[in-house]
Amino acid sequence: MPDVTDPVVRHSRREAIIIGLAWLASTGWCCFYSWWAGYGSADHPLTKADVRPIWGIPSWAFWGYIVPWGVCAIFTIWFAGFFMVDDDLGPDHAAELEGDIREGVVDEG
Amino acid sequence: MKADAVQAHPATLLALVIFTLVSLGLGVVANLVASRKAGFLQKYFLGNRSLGALAVALTAAVMSGGTFMGFPSLVYSFGWVVGLWIASYMVAPLTVLGVLGKRIGQLSRKTGAITLPDLLRERFGSPALGLLTSLLVVFFLTCNLVPQFKAGGVIMKIVLPSSAYTWASSDDLAVTVDAGYIVGLAIFTATVVAYTAYGGFLAAVWTDVFQSLIMAVGVILLFPMAMAASGGLGAATTRGMELAGDGFAFGPGAGRDFHPLTLALSFFVMWAITGMGQPSTMVRLMAFKDSRTLRWSILYLTIYNVLIYVPLVFIFIASRSILPDLERPDEVMPRLVIFLANPYVAGLILAAPYGAVMSTVSGFLLIVASGLVRDVYQRFLRPKASEREIEWASYSATVGIGLLAAAIALNPPKYLQLIVVFASSGMASAFLMPALMGAFWRRATAKGALAAMSVGAGVTLALYAYGSYLGLRQEDQGIGPRPQMFGAYYLLGFEPCVWGLLSSLASGVVVSLLTKAPDPARVSLLFDAQPADAPAPASLGRHQPAPTAGGPDAAPTA
Repeated sequence: MPDVTDPVVRHSRREAIIIGLAWLASTGWCCFYSWWAGYGSADHPLTKADVRPIWGIPSWAFWGYIVPWGVCAIFTIWFAGFFMVDDDLGPDHAAELEGDIREGVVDEG
Repeated sequence: MKADAVQAHPATLLALVIFTLVSLGLGVVANLVASRKAGFLQKYFLGNRSLGALAVALTAAVMSGGTFMGFPSLVYSFGWVVGLWIASYMVAPLTVLGVLGKRIGQLSRKTGAITLPDLLRERFGSPALGLLTSLLVVFFLTCNLVPQFKAGGVIMKIVLPSSAYTWASSDDLAVTVDAGYIVGLAIFTATVVAYTAYGGFLAAVWTDVFQSLIMAVGVILLFPMAMAASGGLGAATTRGMELAGDGFAFGPGAGRDFHPLTLALSFFVMWAITGMGQPSTMVRLMAFKDSRTLRWSILYLTIYNVLIYVPLVFIFIASRSILPDLERPDEVMPRLVIFLANPYVAGLILAAPYGAVMSTVSGFLLIVASGLVRDVYQRFLRPKASEREIEWASYSATVGIGLLAAAIALNPPKYLQLIVVFASSGMASAFLMPALMGAFWRRATAKGALAAMSVGAGVTLALYAYGSYLGLRQEDQGIGPRPQMFGAYYLLGFEPCVWGLLSSLASGVVVSLLTKAPDPARVSLLFDAQPADAPAPASLGRHQPAPTAGGPDAAPTA
């Protein structure tokens, strides 16, 4: 039996899954690296010696979210620029719905 | 010089007045130019689905009073860890526009929906779902409007000369009433309500684009000034550690556990995931021109976020050493600008936060008004209302909501960002799962969507109610902002949006599976390839053969 699913649904679903993976990767890296490299505690307080600045930025912040921000931007440019599919979204039924509301004939399923 | 004593030069006010007049002018032009071909509601609340890539990107930039007032105050107070707090904006253009974009755009066209309640009502065929969506949109967005109005009032107060408001308070009143703030709030309210009510959606979008560009210019101008004044990021970090403690350079933040790991994870959900569920985002996804526009808007927004948010973190790290003794951290942005820049440049830069606030308010006002007019007034009270009557109802609702939010903003809570976070959490917990289910899951039912919406919103509200109760008792949870009258309860250390979304997803799935499957004809119309003349779901009944008793159409199954 042929797949009758609307191509917009298929493309959107595939793109949503890849975006979800990108979100998971950025969340995992930023949060856990920052926590591992840049979080002090009562038992292990961090001091000025632990800042180790790169261009004035504490090293944990530089590698924890500044560099990932750049990587993410490059990935996004590839994804939106070259991977996402241009789909036809179909005709607009706004006038039809407006007329149905005025006539009181909206089918509510 | 004491930082709180910094006051604007008259030239700063002049620059802000010019900016405001341009915004008002755009509102007037938008009203004149908007096509009369479509119905009033589609034009006024959706701009005839004509948004281009730059407009979608910049109006979805999630800039608000929080961006330029609340967020800087957090960086000023807690240091570098606040960069992690906002870092999910790196992936937000993809999640916010890319996950639901095409499907919401397609579903809104297939159903003819022009508002979020319209969309969910028509997707699931449920008037109850439409009504609940409207009521929750009105509640949460009105909450979100209050801090925006406060931010507008605060900026205007700072740039106004004191002679503009000393007449407004007697010596007795001056003790209890901040006359400058009230006059500033009144001017801000009159401006933004006027251009929004008159120009509708296109006015909000055009002014948003104009203001977003000014914001970018403001941040780019402010960045070198702040770096020069502080001696660079390294010196600013060292000075910040001397002033606020070593935590200024590290997690979980200066002075307290502002942002522990659980909250870091929560805020990657907060901005990147809950951003998808905001009514303001979904309206933009219903209004873009085509899917090519959507792709370009993702690209533009990615570049814009890099240019705005990373420099903002740097600027307000530096602000701690430049203005070390601010009593009200919420005012750090305008105070810093007036302190650093010459008056004319200060006026231009101050237009950035002012523009952010104005554009947020105008967008929110229209969404609340559309919820009241389309989904309550027209759908439930006056379905046969004339076009003229709907026009006046729309103008009145926009003005009325604006005045109500301004009245509440007369006595707002201290931290703007807390209410922004609360409202964003609540709306995402209510709307995201029903929208995802509606877009991608054939088996989702109206009752499932209702359950997802009410449970998600209910859990978020309950966690904030309990957090506020603890705040009133001055019981410190040890993480996040210090306890105050209004705040979140961090169950197991996570922000309420995480629990709201999880409970919404679970209830939506369970209730959908336990209830009767939706009408397969309606589902097919929305999920399968259709001929060009396929009807909207609202007209489906008139295009289907009448079901015969006991026949295959009598008891629809998935």
